[in-house]
Amino acid sequence: MKIQELETLLDGRWEHETNGETEIAAGFTSDLLSDVMGNAPEDSVLVTIQAHKNTIAVATLAGIVALVICSNRPIPEDMLAAAKQEGVAVLVTQHNQFEATGRIYARLQATREG
Amino acid sequence: MAVRADLHLHSCVSPCGQLECSPRSVAETARARGIELVALTDHNTALNCPAFAEVCAELGLGAVFGIEITTTEEVHALGLFETVEQALELGRRLWEHLPDIAFDPEKFGDQVYVDADETILGEVERFLLSAVDLGLEDCGRLVQELDGLFVPAHIDRSAYSIWSQLGFLPPFAYDGLEITRPHGPIDTAGFTTITSSDAHFLADIGRRYTVLPGDEPSFRALRSALLTGDTKLSFSPTG
Repeated sequence: MKIQELETLLDGRWEHETNGETEIAAGFTSDLLSDVMGNAPEDSVLVTIQAHKNTIAVATLAGIVALVICSNRPIPEDMLAAAKQEGVAVLVTQHNQFEATGRIYARLQATREG
Repeated sequence: MAVRADLHLHSCVSPCGQLECSPRSVAETARARGIELVALTDHNTALNCPAFAEVCAELGLGAVFGIEITTTEEVHALGLFETVEQALELGRRLWEHLPDIAFDPEKFGDQVYVDADETILGEVERFLLSAVDLGLEDCGRLVQELDGLFVPAHIDRSAYSIWSQLGFLPPFAYDGLEITRPHGPIDTAGFTTITSSDAHFLADIGRRYTVLPGDEPSFRALRSALLTGDTKLSFSPTG
């Protein structure tokens, strides 16, 4: 699936958009950044409520291309600045981690089978 | 000449702290174990600091007043101050960022604050272990704006630490880092380290402590030792 599909899929809004044609290869859901750093696959989308600057740093290290911030958590200014600098897409959704993960998982499976 | 300091202690206002950990009992126990400088650092509140100040003055113990903040990353970090008023001010500012989740004493234990004679003055109605909606660095700036020392707590522990929550040390002008063992999993990047008991029970007070140079058990001596890197860490109890 492509990054740009996340917006409709999750009824979300972009806080920072990158190239929407970028392919998402996998997903990872966690609110422990040490877990994300150790286990998130390359070219993945991260589903989390950890809306702060250090999430961007971890995303960059782990090769995450997009972040989905759940439950409408506000994005601090310094996080947005870091996202722009590092080129990580950030989408905010009203849905919680369970709902967002389920929707992304189903879409990724459909992409693979299709 | 040296000062033994235990700079991370909880009292009965911390939900996980025992009711018997009144500021008086905490200070008396610390003194009995040869600790000369103590810091009270309850979770997200300084409401037991006024009583702690009174008791420490009475016992001739050096006192530092603080709060153990739960940042939005669920990292624990100490804000340490020279005066009760600074610690209370940090507490008031954190309160605005603490989620309004009602506290259930049945599940978590009590959150009572008391006076120097152990009379209960009140109970905190929000759950104090919750994370504030401020990131680590924002919490650091808040503490340092109030002229306090910002020291991330037990950074090498497997829960509520920089290591467990983030996995790396974000760049910041930390005043120091608290560790719990000599060769932990995370690089302290040249910052001055301290160690403390993080006691939630009287029995644990002084199980780890930091030795500061000089003979003055004070906040100033602490600040100066953190600046110069002149701390010695003891990972076994006082004799």
